Amino acid sequence: MSWKAEIEEIHRRRRLAEQCGGPDAVARHHAEGKLTIRERINALLDPGSFQEVGQLAGKATHDADGKLTGFMPAPYVAGIGKIDDRLVAVGGEDYTIKGGAGFGGQRRKGGQGGFIEDLACLYRIPLINLVDGVGGSVESITRRGHSTFPGAGPDGFERSVELMGMVPVVSAVMGTAAGGPSGRAILSHWTVMVKNHSQIFAAGPPVVERALGVKVTKEELGGHRMAVDTAGTIDNSAEDEADCLRQIRRFLSYLPSNVWELPPRAPCDDPADRCEDALADIVPRSPRQPYDMRKLIEMVVDRGSLFEIQPTFGRAVITSLARMNGMVVGVIASNPMFGGVVEVKAARKQTHFTELCDSFNIPLIYFVDVPGFQIGMEAEAAGILRIGMQGRYLNMQLSVPVYTVVVRKCYGMAGGSTIDRSGLNFKIAWPSAEWGSLPIEGGVKAAFRREIEAAEDSVAKEAKIEAEIRRMTSPFLTAEAFGVEDLIDPRETRPYLCAFLEAAAVGMKTRVGPKFRTGVRP
Amino acid sequence: MARIEIKSEITGTVWKLMKQPGDQVEAGDTLIVIESMKMEIPVITEDGGTLKEILVKEKDPVAEGQVVAVIDG
Repeated sequence: MSWKAEIEEIHRRRRLAEQCGGPDAVARHHAEGKLTIRERINALLDPGSFQEVGQLAGKATHDADGKLTGFMPAPYVAGIGKIDDRLVAVGGEDYTIKGGAGFGGQRRKGGQGGFIEDLACLYRIPLINLVDGVGGSVESITRRGHSTFPGAGPDGFERSVELMGMVPVVSAVMGTAAGGPSGRAILSHWTVMVKNHSQIFAAGPPVVERALGVKVTKEELGGHRMAVDTAGTIDNSAEDEADCLRQIRRFLSYLPSNVWELPPRAPCDDPADRCEDALADIVPRSPRQPYDMRKLIEMVVDRGSLFEIQPTFGRAVITSLARMNGMVVGVIASNPMFGGVVEVKAARKQTHFTELCDSFNIPLIYFVDVPGFQIGMEAEAAGILRIGMQGRYLNMQLSVPVYTVVVRKCYGMAGGSTIDRSGLNFKIAWPSAEWGSLPIEGGVKAAFRREIEAAEDSVAKEAKIEAEIRRMTSPFLTAEAFGVEDLIDPRETRPYLCAFLEAAAVGMKTRVGPKFRTGVRP
Repeated sequence: MARIEIKSEITGTVWKLMKQPGDQVEAGDTLIVIESMKMEIPVITEDGGTLKEILVKEKDPVAEGQVVAVIDG
């Protein structure tokens, strides 16, 4: 073999690359409860499916004869592999090598644009970023001899943004992310971070202290309680790295490989005609009593198929991927435990989830019990109207089938944001359903003020008018007018929806591809 | 014995106290009912134990995240 020496050198360098930052750096990483990037990729992908690219990239030192005397691999590992037998692109920083900071090669492997993002785009396959890098540093000024313009390196976010309209992009924050890596993580369809081991922020504690004179810890500034629960910057939390990687696999199982495909239909042994008796009593007769909406949803969708997104943020609304007779659906449901009242966080969450489902050809099912947007000083100060109307704007641009199951209340601007005016406008009511521009309580006082004030007993007068109007709000009357398309036995919700989802699936393949949305969302 | 703080998940007014200090409670029990947005929202404990303190009384305003009860779990 005339090229034997060179071929052996290639294999030797691959073995060097597999050592990451060396045994000491790896041991320190493990001691913090973290896996190396190679271990993460192996745990994430189907066994043996990882095909790496660019193992030989890195910083090498040579002796006078040109022989390799030392090699530090590029602090990024990337390649293709499979998840549930479907091809994906994956990359992540190697924190054991210089904290995952760039190595100044001619081309980036990934992390902010780069080879693996180009691959995901051109091959139309999902991209997973396992983010664990510290981003830019003033050290680069001394290294380069000049300061670098922010965002103007060999790759910016242009490819990352392009990917958002083409393939599922998932980012997992698995270390401390600030600067570039934190920006990269956000440009994703779904994000997850590891509790107590990862943080994400615009800038870290030293910069904050210098600028604002305030001392905060990494965890306070950007741990999961802030980033996931309070701000909704990151969607979900994971208990540990293994849970994080499992969640990534689970999320991707609901999505097609790209926007030109329909979501994968799973085999289903949960009968489509299952009718749960408990659905007939789950909604209390008193409108003041809450109930467990997640329990309701579980009785309708395929058993065990719920994957909730942003469960700890904007909790008045529940957003969850699920399956109905094996078909992927997006569930948006009011949470009566929070009154179902839509404030800015819930509105933001609902809009984002709607756009995610529409982009990836996932039909939507609403389970509605919403009295309206949040009102009052706090709500107005947060801009509830603007944030709320952003969702309504998007709803007019949807292409997926939408089913509005009115469980109880459906009022006002928030109620109107659960119907599908740009599509079939298919409203399916339960006998417990009630709707209107505003709830009767308070509404009567406003509309009949003069009559009530003129009456001898204004309290009794208001109660009488309320009772008269209430008689006319029976969902049966609206159903007679075909003002709702159907009024059903709650126990039939599953077979009813499955039948129409099956019918809608016929035409869905004629609406695949990037969804073009015009105009400026308010 | 672990000290477990029970927080309200919503802003509202204390409507009814369902348990008293000294009561044995189980995971899933309602300790307090808060009135918010014309609804009666239960404050439910995820842990069992002995209810040590109730830190609010009826008609008190309650903020989201406020500790309203303590359990010895």
